[in-house]
Amino acid sequence: MNILNRRHFLQAAGAAGVLAAIPRAVSAQTTSPRVVVVGGGFGGATVAKYLRLWAGNVQVTLVEPNATYIACVLSNLVLTNAISLTRISLGYSSLQTNHGVSVLQGRAVAIDPPGNRLTVQTDSGMQDLEYDHLVLSPGIDFRPAPGNWNPELTPHAWEAGTQTTLLRNQVASMRNNDRCVITVPRAPYRCPPGPYERACVIADNLRTRGRTGAKVILLDANAGIQAEVEAFTHAFNVTLRDWIEYVPNAQVTSVDSTTRSIVTTARTENNARVLNYIPNQRAAPIAAGLGTDAAGFVPINPLAYATLAFPSIHVIGDSASVPATDGRGIAKSAHMANSEAKVCADAILRTLSGDNPDENIATNSACYSPVTQRTASWFSTSFVYGDVFTAGGEVKGKGMDRIDVGEAPADRVNNDTFTEMFTWADSLFADSFA
Amino acid sequence: MEPRRKLISPILVSLFGATVGGALWHSDAMAQVPPGRLLASQCSQCHGTDGRGPGFAEIAGKNKYGDLRDMAHRRVEGVMDRQARGYTDEQLRLLSEYLATTPESGGGN
Repeated sequence: MNILNRRHFLQAAGAAGVLAAIPRAVSAQTTSPRVVVVGGGFGGATVAKYLRLWAGNVQVTLVEPNATYIACVLSNLVLTNAISLTRISLGYSSLQTNHGVSVLQGRAVAIDPPGNRLTVQTDSGMQDLEYDHLVLSPGIDFRPAPGNWNPELTPHAWEAGTQTTLLRNQVASMRNNDRCVITVPRAPYRCPPGPYERACVIADNLRTRGRTGAKVILLDANAGIQAEVEAFTHAFNVTLRDWIEYVPNAQVTSVDSTTRSIVTTARTENNARVLNYIPNQRAAPIAAGLGTDAAGFVPINPLAYATLAFPSIHVIGDSASVPATDGRGIAKSAHMANSEAKVCADAILRTLSGDNPDENIATNSACYSPVTQRTASWFSTSFVYGDVFTAGGEVKGKGMDRIDVGEAPADRVNNDTFTEMFTWADSLFADSFA
Repeated sequence: MEPRRKLISPILVSLFGATVGGALWHSDAMAQVPPGRLLASQCSQCHGTDGRGPGFAEIAGKNKYGDLRDMAHRRVEGVMDRQARGYTDEQLRLLSEYLATTPESGGGN
């Protein structure tokens, strides 16, 4: 580590006979502020980096259990061996050496809001971190599966890593006439185009491997395709018609990993060769403990991503529920988490300076999706701060209002866009982690 | 590659803070935040931090307001034609003016 961790800092400062003499309430305002970030994915890495980039005298500690982050971005291409896991593995050394972020490897286990204290479980025991602001970017949690689900047998691969490798190996084992069953969770879930993208690249892989009669069955809990409707509809009905079957309104009622069988409200599939059950989702527990909405995510103020109960505790990324116009919700994506992280970082710094958060804000997500092993599409969605509305058109408050959304025109779903996808991913990786 | 900031010793910062006494913490950086900086940071996912790559076309050191307005109003072909529609006209102007002030990757800092 290139800067002192907090314990050493306090020891050193105490030895200097300065900080120890100052009561905590005062020292919190007169020393450099402390921001603790939980979760080293795209949201957490970005907020840590930009806090340091925009205010070098803020102490930032990033708490993350894993030494390396494996991005979900591009991970569907690992399933077909187009790229390796190494290609999407991102470390924290740049955040440390280039930006002075302190990284603590451990798992956040408890928050003490009145005490402004986070408890972290590390290999060397429990540690308490005091903060002036706490940013939670812990990703998603899976809702309990109905039935008997064992992800070691039938992987979700919705958090990249060993799960991705397991699903890749299972896809590789598929023979003629085998079925790969994939579920689409009930919205909102992480990465709206992701399950459709996955179905397409696996189907195209079966096609190019000449697996006669083999098929992907895509069981969607929702009434229709959730993103890039034109691109995926075309893939399901034309490009990959013989290799993929799309079934909407298929809510899972029972899973059995041992027999790789699944029962849904629209279709039952027994003894599939591959069962990729992607469960319904909710906020990760460390954030969910602060209170969730009916969908299971944590409501926040869109100007600072502060929780409604605790202005110094912020939630960004997949765990957050950002107020938006009904039916025009914020996509949960790596790109959006990065976007929210910058708004959050700016708001924290303004708050620490005694100012109000900026209201002239915008967030966006622009993500590329492979549709076959050679072609890709993109999906763009943009939000600005302002009034948000009910389905009936009545103002329901302030939030991030979607002012534009769209996907690649049909003639742009091609190999050039497939190549652009890697430029996009590498740029997003670097803006967040480097 | 962009130049990297020097690390700041937490000890020196704390000594300085203690010397100032009861003053509220104050970020010099935030005292003069250019109005378009936060908006412009939303370009960085695809154009690199401060528009200096890696990524699509480098946008640091250039005022692209005219181009962005064109993109926001022409028929959609590329992803930027959508992204440019994601801001008000005033926001496009602010972020363009900010990016015009950022150093290009070859130009040092």
